[in-house]
Amino acid sequence: MSASATVVIRVAIAPNMAFDLFTREIGQWWRRGPATSFRPANPGRLEFESGPGGRLLECYDDTDHVYEVGKILDWQPGKRLSFEWIGINFAPGEKTEVEVLFQAVDEGTRIVLTHSGWDGLPRDHPARHGLSEQAHLTMLATWWRQLLGGYAARTQAGIA
Amino acid sequence: MTAPKPTLLDNTLVALADPTRRRVIDMLRQAPRRPGDFVDAFSISAPAISRHLRILRAAGLVEEEFAEHDARIRIYRLRPEPFAGLQDWLEQVAGFWSDQLASFKAHAEAPERAE
Repeated sequence: MSASATVVIRVAIAPNMAFDLFTREIGQWWRRGPATSFRPANPGRLEFESGPGGRLLECYDDTDHVYEVGKILDWQPGKRLSFEWIGINFAPGEKTEVEVLFQAVDEGTRIVLTHSGWDGLPRDHPARHGLSEQAHLTMLATWWRQLLGGYAARTQAGIA
Repeated sequence: MTAPKPTLLDNTLVALADPTRRRVIDMLRQAPRRPGDFVDAFSISAPAISRHLRILRAAGLVEEEFAEHDARIRIYRLRPEPFAGLQDWLEQVAGFWSDQLASFKAHAEAPERAE
C-alpha cells in the first residue's frame, strides 16, 4: 500500500498527440475553479514550460506573478511525464509528485495518472484541510478503493 | 469542501497514519484474525500489537469478539460502518483527477480535432 492516487482513462488519439495536448493545452482543458486553483479567489490558467527542466505554473491575467506548482521531473513526449505538485499550504521542502503515463492501445492512448508522495507529508499537514485536500482525498479514496474491493465498481463508475 | 463526519474521519486518519496499523487492516480485509496472528506476521511484541489494536478499536475501524469455542480467545474483524462512511465522503472528492482527465478527454476528442 502506498499513499498514491491512480486514475486511468482512455482517449481516442495517439500517444504523441495526447502528450502534446496534455501539456501544451492544459490551459484549455484544465477545469478552472476555486477548488482546482492555487489562487482560489481568482483562479488562473495552468501552463507547462515544455521540456526537461521546465515547470508547471499557474499564471494570472492581472499580475506577472506566477505560482510554481512544481518542476518537471521527466518529459518523454508520447510516453511519460512527471512533475512535482506543491500545494499552496505546503511547508518548504514538502512536495508530492504526479506521473502521467501515455500507453498506446488500440485506437488511442491509455493514460495512467498517479499522484504520489502524500505519505511523505505529516499526518496533520494542512493539505488535509486546505484546497489540495481534494487531491489528498483522492489518494485516500484510491487507497480505500483498493482496500475494499467490494466498493470498487461503485467508486470507479464515474471514471471513463 | 466539508467533511460530514470530521471527528470520525480525524480518528480514522490518525489510526491509519501508522504503517503497522495499515498492515493490520490489510490482513483483516482477508479474514478475521487473532492478535497472535499479527505478532507472528509482523515480528512485533504482543503488547505493541495490543496497543495498535486498541487504537484501531477506538477509531471504530475494528471490533473484538470472542471465539465461539473458547471465550479466552479474542478475534478481530473489520467494522464495515466507518469504511462505508468514509467511502461516502471520499466519493465526493475522489473525482479531482478523474474530473480533470475527463475534461482532457473531452478536449482531446473534440469533433473539430477529428482526423
